[in-house]
Amino acid sequence: MEANSKPATSIRTYAGVYAVLGLITLIEILLADSQGGMSRQVLTPAFLMFSLAKASLVAAFFMHLRNDSKFYTAVFLLPAVLLLIFALLATVR
Amino acid sequence: MTTDISLQNDEFRAGSALGIDHRKLGIWLFLSSEIMFFGGLLAAFLHYKINNPSPVEHDLLDVTLVGINTFILLTSSFTVVLGLEAIRHGNRRRLLTFLGLTMLLGAAFLGGQGLEFSELYRRGMTLQSTVYGSSFFTLTGFHGLHVLVGILWAALTLRKAARGRYDEGHYAGVELFGLYWHFVDIVWIVLFTLIYLT
Repeated sequence: MEANSKPATSIRTYAGVYAVLGLITLIEILLADSQGGMSRQVLTPAFLMFSLAKASLVAAFFMHLRNDSKFYTAVFLLPAVLLLIFALLATVR
Repeated sequence: MTTDISLQNDEFRAGSALGIDHRKLGIWLFLSSEIMFFGGLLAAFLHYKINNPSPVEHDLLDVTLVGINTFILLTSSFTVVLGLEAIRHGNRRRLLTFLGLTMLLGAAFLGGQGLEFSELYRRGMTLQSTVYGSSFFTLTGFHGLHVLVGILWAALTLRKAARGRYDEGHYAGVELFGLYWHFVDIVWIVLFTLIYLT
């Protein structure tokens, strides 16, 4: 592992990612509490996009997928994509 | 003709000639199987939520408390990467500090989940009350169990670090633990949205 590790991300970048994750979570809580005058049709896709953004940030920066072998990314994403396909198929009647 | 693989060089046997570390590949394969595990539980929860809507139970969920818990788990992911960076630079003391903090934050998350569960039980939402309750507690409970395993893994990593097993050239154990912990964090990010926010 140490032998093929890529250059590390800086502490400043990690702190920036953490700040963005915290900010998104705060926005989510405030929106969930107040609804912000928005309908569920608007809020639900917004929450899903926030969730995707947060998960991607953690995977890319904290799990180092951004700098590591793309093979790991493929191994990680394949079941997620399969799951999404199965979920979509399940909604078809 | 037989081949004795012990005669092959270490780099070939470890698979590192491919640019892929076998230990890291192992944990990624494990995590991909975990996606399917949580995917199944999540599919069951969403099936019941969509086809057997229960607004009463959904309204019992405390988004603010769980939002704070989410923030705690995100913070623990941050402390894990800080610990990894510390040992990459040979600073074992900082690694110990951040691993300890990670364990505390993980315990705080479990404490928050315990508070949430006890409040839901007090208000009549239990594992046996309805299919919503069953699927909710099964899904979030299994996630909590994964956090508990993560805390135990962090404790083992901390013990090895305290015994000087890691330095700037050898920190695979810390990185592997970190991958598991961040994965548990990602699972929670998804659960928080699909269970509490939508």
